Amino acid sequence: MIDNLNRARPLIMHIDLNSCFATVEQQARPRLRGRPVAVLNRRTEFTSIITASYEAKAYGIKVGMRYREAKAVCPDLIAVESDPAKYKYVYHKLLDIMRDYSAHVTMKSIDEGVIDFNYATAAMLERDLVEIGQEIKQRLRDEIGVWMRCNVGIATNRFLAKTAAGLNKPDGLDVITADNLELVMNQLKLTDLTGIAKRNQRRLNSVGIYTPLEFIAAKPEVLQKMVFKSVVGEWWYRRLRGWEVDDVDYDMKRVGRQYVLEHRGLTQEQIEQRLHNLCESVGGRLRGQQRMARGVYVFVKSEDYGYWHSSTMSSVPFQSNQTIYALAKDIIRRAPGSGIRVIGVHCYELEPVVDNQLSIFQDKLARERSVTRAIDLVNQRYGERTVHSAHTLPTNGYLTPKIPFGGTRYF
Amino acid sequence: MNDEIFLNERVEVVTVFGSGHHPCRPLRFKRPSGRVVEVAELGLKHPVVKGRRTIHVFDVTDGGADYRLEFDSERLTWMLTLEADHYD
Repeated sequence: MIDNLNRARPLIMHIDLNSCFATVEQQARPRLRGRPVAVLNRRTEFTSIITASYEAKAYGIKVGMRYREAKAVCPDLIAVESDPAKYKYVYHKLLDIMRDYSAHVTMKSIDEGVIDFNYATAAMLERDLVEIGQEIKQRLRDEIGVWMRCNVGIATNRFLAKTAAGLNKPDGLDVITADNLELVMNQLKLTDLTGIAKRNQRRLNSVGIYTPLEFIAAKPEVLQKMVFKSVVGEWWYRRLRGWEVDDVDYDMKRVGRQYVLEHRGLTQEQIEQRLHNLCESVGGRLRGQQRMARGVYVFVKSEDYGYWHSSTMSSVPFQSNQTIYALAKDIIRRAPGSGIRVIGVHCYELEPVVDNQLSIFQDKLARERSVTRAIDLVNQRYGERTVHSAHTLPTNGYLTPKIPFGGTRYF
Repeated sequence: MNDEIFLNERVEVVTVFGSGHHPCRPLRFKRPSGRVVEVAELGLKHPVVKGRRTIHVFDVTDGGADYRLEFDSERLTWMLTLEADHYD
């Protein structure tokens, strides 16, 4: 018998689009429906699969698998290049639908979100949440298209609602309450729980916890002092019992982008052109968020899966493309030169834009800011990269924006 | 790898502007070659913003191939930009 369970009415609904990008492609192109589809960021044999349709998953195709390996497993696999504009549209439609039910909606990523009915109107609270879940499924089909499906999970907190949404894929709708918690957890493995991957599994195993039920039954002191060795143990104790600990908004800490080089053996100059393009993109995002940065971080992944990184800080906050690239270029010139596979740049130590700080470089800064503002206005009027550095001209067509995993703040 | 043909063809489109969740639906279009394609199903309609211009993208099928039609809401033009029919 598990003590201290949250026995309140479940009012958190987690909605997760099934194999989102592949489903959207099947919606857009009816001839892809019912076929194994893989969505790739670039249609080359060495690209990794970013989403597979359920038909493809049935062949054992997994996200992250190289397209060439997947094609060997499933010769009928159809590769489709990702189209972020479509996914962004579906994201906004889903968000609009969710906001019709409560003012407190949080999108966790491009394909999943949470409705908190604790803040819903009294009239809405009179309705059965299972009925609302079914209604949302129907609205997705009516308002986006007949092929759209989603999983819905309902529980007393975000963690259990997400767990419920994953119980019966695709197109499931499940509720976890204090009454069925043991039954549900009994069907799961530790690694089925969001947040428990191999490393946390090893930690739990080390104190004799091998199943979710044993995890729930563990005393808070054990989780806090022996397993997680921090307050995280207390959070897990509460989370597993249905108490909310994940309703937290995190501040944006950094803005960045990375790029998988289109082929190996690019010259240093070509790599710097691609880095410059990334810096222009990052600068645009930074200014779009009304932020300035003080730090630039550059990383390089090599073919042998090595990771090199370095960073630099500026005494003056900046947000122009030129400054970001000037700092990033100095860093990447120190990187190991051969076998580069991925490059990336982040701006960090973010702060709001302020104009009132006087500086001895005021004229130069003001001029740079005016030029940047003018370029941004032209690009907003005529489209991205209408005006850009001539240095990045040879990179056009290569560094098109791809799908932002995780955060949706640039939407 | 399946084949997709990327195009930039100006096409003439018969469209119905109705009501409901999908108020604008292309019914058929005529390609520069004179071939008329009957739209059997509208897969997805989504907007793409290019600066201040909005392009409405319609992914449609005639049952034999999938097509992408783009309607420029500023210039009031229709373009056929994609044909994909080599899945088999």
